[in-house]
Amino acid sequence: MKSALAIALMLTALVHAGELEFDEMNKEQDAAVDATTVTTDFAFTNKSDKPVSITKSDPNCSCLKVEISGGKLKYAPGESGVIRTTFDVGNTTGSVEKGIAVWLDDDPPDKPSVYLKVNIHVPVLVNLEPKTLSWAIGEKLEPKTIQIRIAEGSLIHVVDVKSKDTFTCELKTLEKGRSYDLVVTPKSVDLPDLSIIRIETDSKISKQKTQQAFAVVRKFTPAAAGVSRQ
Amino acid sequence: MNSLGQLAAIGFISALAAGGTFWLKGPPVRTLRCDPATLKPDEICLQQISPDEPVLWVDARHRKDWEKNGVPGSALWNLDADEDMQAFEADIAMRIMETPQVIVYCGDENCGLSRQVADRIRSLQLGAEVSVLHGGWRALSEAGMVKDSNPGS
Repeated sequence: MKSALAIALMLTALVHAGELEFDEMNKEQDAAVDATTVTTDFAFTNKSDKPVSITKSDPNCSCLKVEISGGKLKYAPGESGVIRTTFDVGNTTGSVEKGIAVWLDDDPPDKPSVYLKVNIHVPVLVNLEPKTLSWAIGEKLEPKTIQIRIAEGSLIHVVDVKSKDTFTCELKTLEKGRSYDLVVTPKSVDLPDLSIIRIETDSKISKQKTQQAFAVVRKFTPAAAGVSRQ
Repeated sequence: MNSLGQLAAIGFISALAAGGTFWLKGPPVRTLRCDPATLKPDEICLQQISPDEPVLWVDARHRKDWEKNGVPGSALWNLDADEDMQAFEADIAMRIMETPQVIVYCGDENCGLSRQVADRIRSLQLGAEVSVLHGGWRALSEAGMVKDSNPGS
C-alpha cells in the first residue's frame, strides 16, 4: 500500500513539476516623453530540480509584445532566461499597467502559474487641475478655475480654448509657456449641462498637443459626494 | 498484491466514488458564482443590479471583442495604446449625464483592466457611481446579456 501511495504522490508531483523564480514580478518603468516603445526584461531561473517548459504567454494588450530568450522555452534545473516585453506607447500618456500571463508545463488553461506586471509611466507635459469643474443645479453661479501647469523643463504655450457656448472660458496667462489659469463660468445652473473643453497647445509631442477638460452642471448624488455603493 | 495492482485498486475505488457522486448529485455546476459577501469594495455581482436601473456598461476588452460580442449599447474604453483616450473620455462623459450608474467589465473574473478603467472614469469626477462587474464578460454571457450569447451556457 505504501508503494502505491508513493506512486500516486509522484504522479501528483509531476503535475506541479518545476517552478521559475523571477528577480521581480512587478516592475516600474519610466518612459521618455517621446518614446515610441518601452522594453522591460523579467529575468528568471529554474530553481526546481526538474526541467520546466514555458508553454504559452499571453499579454493583456495587443500593444505588448513578448519574447522569451530568443525562443528558448525549455529550462533545465538552474538554467536562467529572460522574458522581454516591448510596449508600443502609441497614444498613452500618464501611468498604465500591463500584464502578461505565463503558462508552465501542465498549467490548466484558466490558471497560468506566473503573472508578470509592468507599470509604465509616460510623462504628462500639460497638467490640468482639476480636470473637471462641477456646479450643482441651483447653486450660486460663480466662476471656477482649471490650473494649467507645464511640466518643469518644458515650454508649451496654450494657443486656443474651445468650449460649448453655454459656458464662457477666459484664459489667463500667469507665465508664458509655463502657467495658465482657465476661468470657466456656466451661463446657467438651472438645468444639467456638460461642456467638453479642448485646450490646444503648441506641444511638439502630437499626442499631448490637445488637452481635454470638462465643465458640468448636474444634480449632486451620494456617489458624486464620494459615497461608494458599499 | 503488487504496487501496480494496489494503484489500480485505488484508481478503481476513486472512479467508483466519483461516479456515485455524479449519479447522486448530477454534473458539477460550471456557472460562475458571485457571493456579495466576498466582493472587493468596488465590485458588484450581476444579480445585485436591478433590471429597472439604467446602467451604462463599459467594455474594457479589445475593440474587436467589444464589436463581436459586447453588451448591446455598451461603451468601449480599453487601455490599448492605439486607441484615443480623449475620445473615450468624451463619449463616457456625455453618456454619464444620462446614466450615472457605470459598470465596467472585461474578459474574465481575474482581469485587472476593468479596475484600471473604472479608476480612470472615477477620476473624471462627473458624479458617476462606478463599479466593476465580478466575473466580467463571462457573467454577462451566462446571463444572455451579450451579443450572440447563449443564456445559461
